[in-house]
Amino acid sequence: MSQSKPLANPVNVEYLYDGSLPGLYCCVYESVYEKEIPLDILAEADAPPSLLERRLILTDMEKAKRVRASIPKKISARAMELIETVFLSCLEKKEMAILRFLLFAYRHGKNAADMWHHPLVDPLIKAEKHLLGERHLLLGFIRFSDYDGFLFSTITPKNYILPFLKTHFINRFSNENFMIYDKTHGAALIYENRNWSIVSLENADIREPSEEEQSYRALWKQFYNTIAIEARTNHKCRMTHMPKRYWENMLEVKDLL
Amino acid sequence: MDLMQKLTILADGAKYDAACTSSGGDRESGGRGLGSTIAAGCCHTFSADGRCVSLLKVLLSNHCIHDCKYCVNRNSNDTQRTAFTPEELAELTIQFYRRNYIEGLFLSSGVMKNADYTMERMIKALELLRYKYDFWGYIHAKTIPGASPELVRRLGLVADRLSINIEMPSEKSLKLLAPGKTKSAILKPMAQISSGLTQNKQELALYKNAPRFAPAGQATQMIIGASPESDYQIINLASGLYKGYGLKRVFYSAYIPAVQDSLLPSVDTNPPLLREHRLYQADFLMRQYKFEACEILSESTPNFNPYLDPKCNWAINNMHLFPVDVNRAPYEMLLRVPGLGPKSAQRIVHVRRSARLDFPALKRLGVVLKRAQYFITTKDHPRGINMGRETTLRALIDPGVFKHGMEQISLFGPSGRALPGASDVKQVDEAVEEAVLCLKASL
Ligand code: SF4
Repeated sequence: MSQSKPLANPVNVEYLYDGSLPGLYCCVYESVYEKEIPLDILAEADAPPSLLERRLILTDMEKAKRVRASIPKKISARAMELIETVFLSCLEKKEMAILRFLLFAYRHGKNAADMWHHPLVDPLIKAEKHLLGERHLLLGFIRFSDYDGFLFSTITPKNYILPFLKTHFINRFSNENFMIYDKTHGAALIYENRNWSIVSLENADIREPSEEEQSYRALWKQFYNTIAIEARTNHKCRMTHMPKRYWENMLEVKDLL
Repeated sequence: MDLMQKLTILADGAKYDAACTSSGGDRESGGRGLGSTIAAGCCHTFSADGRCVSLLKVLLSNHCIHDCKYCVNRNSNDTQRTAFTPEELAELTIQFYRRNYIEGLFLSSGVMKNADYTMERMIKALELLRYKYDFWGYIHAKTIPGASPELVRRLGLVADRLSINIEMPSEKSLKLLAPGKTKSAILKPMAQISSGLTQNKQELALYKNAPRFAPAGQATQMIIGASPESDYQIINLASGLYKGYGLKRVFYSAYIPAVQDSLLPSVDTNPPLLREHRLYQADFLMRQYKFEACEILSESTPNFNPYLDPKCNWAINNMHLFPVDVNRAPYEMLLRVPGLGPKSAQRIVHVRRSARLDFPALKRLGVVLKRAQYFITTKDHPRGINMGRETTLRALIDPGVFKHGMEQISLFGPSGRALPGASDVKQVDEAVEEAVLCLKASL
C-alpha cells in the first residue's frame, strides 16, 4: 500500500479545552494545522495537575464551524453523527479517540465510519453502541412520580443521554409536563407547556409523594411481585437483562439492593 | 374487594401467558392524547424469573364457565374470583402508563357467562382507553374462542394485536384437556382476523384514514409438555400457522403444573424449560433464517437434540455444505453458520465491501469465533480450520444445557439410552466430554 507522509506527528504536549464540542473541534483544528498529535486532550475543569507541557486551546466559533463543516464534506454525514454521539458517551479519553479517528478519516474518505473492523473506528462504534444501548434500556427503566400532575424522574446513566431521550418522551407524553433529572451529569430535561429545554441542575429537591402516588407505587410493586413465576425463578437472567446499577431508580427492585 | 386484591388475583391468573412483547409498529401520538408505540418493543422491567415485563398483563375476570384441565382459572378449581370494572382497568392502565411502568396493556379474560358477554366487557374497557382517555399506547387483546365475528372486528379496531390461543398442539389433546373448546371455535376467529388484516391493508392503501385493524397483527400460544405431541409435530403446526394464517408470532409456554389431574403430568414435575427454549430457537430459525420445519426435525428424528441448538444440529448434519467463504457467501448462507446471527451476518456483508475479512476483523465485528471458526474460510484461513468432528462438536455443545439438570435432558432422551446430565458427572467439563462421545456415536 502506498502511504503518503503522515498528516501529523506526535508531540509532547497536552491540549486543554473548555469541554464543549466546539472546543474539541478547535483542538482538531490546532492538531491539523500544526501537523501534530498531542499526548492527550483534557477538559480544563477536570484536568489533574501535571508536569507535562500544556497548551490551552481557546474556543473560536469560526474555527469550530469550519471543522464541523469539513466532516460531512470530506468524510460523511454518518461520521459526524458518530462523532457527536461519541462526544456524549462515557468513552475514556474520547477526545483523543475522536481526533485520531478524524485524522484517519480525512485521509480515508467517505467509507471511514463504516470500517467497523478498523482499530481506530472500532472504539467509537462500541462507545456509540454503549450509549444507545443505555438509552434503550432507560426508555423502559425510567420511573416517573406524579407531583400534582407534574411527572418527575431521576436517572443515573453513565452516558449523557438526555438529548437522546427527548423525542421519545415528548412524543409519548405530549400533553403532560415532566422532568428527567440526570444526577450523574447534573442536568435535566424539562418539558412544560409543550416546550422543552435541557438545563444544568446540580440538585433536585424532592417532596414527599402524595398518598395517591404512594398507592400506585404499591400497586405496581405488587403487580411486579405477582407476575413472576416461582417455578421459573432465574435471578441471573434478570440481572443480565437488567443490570443492578439501574435498580436504585426502579421502585420495584430498589429494596432488593 | 379493593383494587390491590383484585390486581393480585387478576395478574396471578394471567401470568402463565407467554406472549408479552409490545413490538409491532411505530406510532406517534402526533401531539394529541397519551402514548406511542415503538416497533422494536420495550421492556420496562424484568421479573424474578428473568422475563421481560412490558405490558400490564391481567385478566378482566377470572370467573370462567370452562374447565380446561391445565388452567388455574378452570371452573372446578376452588379459588377466589373477581373482575375489574372496565373503568377501574382503564384508570389503572393510564396511571401505570404515565409513570412509565408499562408500554401498554395485555388484556385477557376467563369466560364470564358466555364468549360474547366477555368480549363486550373487554371492548368496553378498551374503548374507554382509546376514546375517553385518548390513549395510544400498545394494547394486546385476547380473543375469546367462540365470540361472534362482529365483536372480533370491534376488538381489532381498538387493539394493536389480537391473539387467540391454540392452547394444545393437537385436536386430540384439545378435546381431552379443554372440553369446552373446539378446534373450529379457535380457528374460525383466527381465520377471520387473518382475512381482516389482509383486507385492512388494502383499505389502508386506498384510504389513508381507514380505521386500523390490529396493526401489530395476530399471535397465538400453545402449552408445551401437558400433552404427548413431539417437537416435530409442534414446529410443523407452528409453520402451518405462520403460513396459513399469517401469524406474527407463535408463543410456547412450558406447562407448569398448577392443578392435580390424572390427565396431566403430576404437580411435582418441573416445567420443560429446555424444551421450550429449543422450540423458540427453532421458531426463530423458521421466521428469521428461512429454515423449513423439515430441515430442523423429521419423522425419524422427531425431537430436539438437548445438547445442540437446532442450528448447530442442522450444521453438524450438513457438514458437506461447509466451510463457506465469509468474504463471498450470500447472506442467507452466512446466517446458517453456527455462531453467526442476523446482526453479525449483516455486519460482515456491510464491511466486506471495503475490506477482505480475517479472524481479528471478525472478532472486532463481534463474531463469536468459538463456533464459527470451523465453518468458514477467511483471508487468513483460506482453507478453513478443520479439526475433525470431535473438536467441532465440543465447540457446538450448548453449555447452558447442563444447568437445566438431568431431568430436563432425559425428557429428550432417545428411549432406552440414558444421556448424561450434570448431576451424573461432577464437572460441566466432564459432562461436555461425555456428551461429545455420546453425540459422536449417535449423529
Ligand atoms: S377458557 Fe379455559 S383456559 Fe381460558 S380461562 Fe377458562 S378455563 Fe382457563
